[in-house]
Amino acid sequence: MQTLVQTGAVTKVHSVRRPWLRDVIGILAIVIAGAVGYWLFPDNLALLTRIIAVALLVLSIDLIVGYCGVATLGQAALFGAGAYAAGIACVNGVTEPMTLIAIGGTAGAVAGLLMGTIMLRAHGLAQLVLSIAIVQLFHEAANKASSITGGSDGLAGLMISPLFGIFEFDLWGKTAYLMGLALLLLVFIALKFVVSSPFGMLCRGIKQDPLRIRAMGAFVFPVLLKMFVISGAVAGMGGALAAISTQVVGLDSVSFELSANALVMLVLGGLGTLYGALIGTVIFMGFEHVVSSINPFHWMTMVGALLIAVVLAAPGGLSSLVEKVRGEKA
Amino acid sequence: MTAGKRILGAAIGALLIGSVSAQADTIKVGIIGPFSGPFALQGKNFQAGVEAYMALNGKTAKGHTIEVIYRDLPAANPAQSRALAQELVVKEKVQYLGGVYFTPDAMAITPLLAQANTPLVIFNAATSAIMNTSPLVVRTSFTTAQTTTPLGKVAIDEGVKKAITIVSDYGPGVDAENAFKKAFEAAGGQVVEAIRMPMNTTDFSPIMQRVRDSGAGGLFAFLPSGPPTLGFTKAYNETGLKKAGIKFYAPGDLTQESDLPALGEAAEGLKTSFHYAVSHDSPENKKFVEAATKAIGGADQLSFPSVGAYDGMHVIYKMIEATDGKQDAQKAVDAVKGLSWTSPRGPVRIEPDTRHITQNIYLREVAKGSDGKLINKEVQTFPNQKDPGLATQ
Repeated sequence: MQTLVQTGAVTKVHSVRRPWLRDVIGILAIVIAGAVGYWLFPDNLALLTRIIAVALLVLSIDLIVGYCGVATLGQAALFGAGAYAAGIACVNGVTEPMTLIAIGGTAGAVAGLLMGTIMLRAHGLAQLVLSIAIVQLFHEAANKASSITGGSDGLAGLMISPLFGIFEFDLWGKTAYLMGLALLLLVFIALKFVVSSPFGMLCRGIKQDPLRIRAMGAFVFPVLLKMFVISGAVAGMGGALAAISTQVVGLDSVSFELSANALVMLVLGGLGTLYGALIGTVIFMGFEHVVSSINPFHWMTMVGALLIAVVLAAPGGLSSLVEKVRGEKA
Repeated sequence: MTAGKRILGAAIGALLIGSVSAQADTIKVGIIGPFSGPFALQGKNFQAGVEAYMALNGKTAKGHTIEVIYRDLPAANPAQSRALAQELVVKEKVQYLGGVYFTPDAMAITPLLAQANTPLVIFNAATSAIMNTSPLVVRTSFTTAQTTTPLGKVAIDEGVKKAITIVSDYGPGVDAENAFKKAFEAAGGQVVEAIRMPMNTTDFSPIMQRVRDSGAGGLFAFLPSGPPTLGFTKAYNETGLKKAGIKFYAPGDLTQESDLPALGEAAEGLKTSFHYAVSHDSPENKKFVEAATKAIGGADQLSFPSVGAYDGMHVIYKMIEATDGKQDAQKAVDAVKGLSWTSPRGPVRIEPDTRHITQNIYLREVAKGSDGKLINKEVQTFPNQKDPGLATQ
């Protein structure tokens, strides 16, 4: 019943020639960028791994904000759910990294289900306020339950066993980076399928005109809720990756600040393309890292200047610049 | 396109230069602290302590030139902390790590130390448990339990039999509550009620009402330093608790020197216990305050993290002397076990078994100094206090 409606929307919205070619090129570009990062900055792999973990969070926001039009400033609740689930499991003896990622993803999905159920009851600003309330509640819960989560001292003592029993998570962070990169690629490919599927199209339709979609006979709530669960799983895996590579889980992973920063990165990169999420994260965190090591005392001014410049010069985000150049060529 | 290539070329060139410029006989020390954001003043105190030490003792230890690299970590963020420490060790090739303001950040660094063959000297992060996570950690600050414990006996000596504890509901707050309760009850007192406030409480008058209703003769408080403290002490005065003779006890975080001007008259008479007061009367401290004030730019900004950093640099210098510039973390740490010296805060010693600093804890009263400015005036000394949090484990 729903598919009929969706295919109608697909042909109208997307009359792209060979869309798969573009995605293959895009995915190859990510692989190359990842490899270049590995060879060019072998001494900064911990930073690069952190960027990947946050990139997963930003991707998960893109699913909700960019594809469904649901504003959220509380996505770190899902990221933190994944991080704490993986951390707590690890402290209690589950040390296999792949299992921990799966645990993080599951916890994120469950948290996403919960968060979606609550947030989708409201609309617009009320929804935004709810998202902030939820992340604050998660934060307070993690702070209160200090016997399990370590509270504000952080959950420390995560001993991760080597990946496949061979590759250790060590000082140089090669294992963590390569595992993170592989995870990011897999997630990205899966999400590309999700967003171009009839389900993804329906989400876009809801973003544009929920009333019309409802009039066409589709149910809005379950579709959006499904996207929340997927988004939660992605964010949760990002959290688990952060927990594994850092071996500490802190309250910052369920903070409003992280949610807001991640949203800024998404806006910087551009909404609703998935590529924008990656570009925004890399540019924002890379820039932040460079200026903060050049001048550890006054670097925030520089970051503010960058944000203002990008928003004024490219209101659609950095990825829209790429589209613009392509458009001019064609 | 060409511009893009040129920028890329320049970037790669800069990276290459960065990796080879290290001189043979320069020993690098990486300092991680909050140098921007809401805790920037504490980070500035780190820097002031480091610069004061280097100004007074020279930039070389046993002929080795020492270079300090600062990295900014504005708020507690273990993932970033680990990334910064890893970069300092792997890319900048630092032989020593120092600084660290928040506990979770320290917890993220300690698992790296053995592999990095690098000691970590903590200038602040004050949770007892950090010391158990790696044998290569040395701490020159304090723990909340260490600074709080003497207050239990002080309260009893001043005739308080029943007390109420009021703390912010987070790790250090809970630590402070437990330490006070233990010390106070061991001295024969009774804690009638323990209140934990949410971190962002701004209206304290209902809490002051509960203090009054509880019938306690004294209150023990712990809040993160800064704006909440101002509201809290104000409420204590305005609700008449001070006039009613209910005594006020807290560790010195509440009356750190850089907050005193803002606290104003309301703070006068408050009794706190701490390891360091900027007004401490000794020739070592006079020299330190002079040098640190020059480094930080204003006497009003100086507070306790600066002395942690100053003594931390002393420990690092001793480590460099002991290893003669060679990278050997275990030897460096072993060399400072049992090390004792006269710090600006008084006599101190690194305990060989815990690697935490043993020091005098002072009871201080906020009073006007000779120039009319508020100071923490030391009124009683509790010599050679170890960290009770570690001792009991």
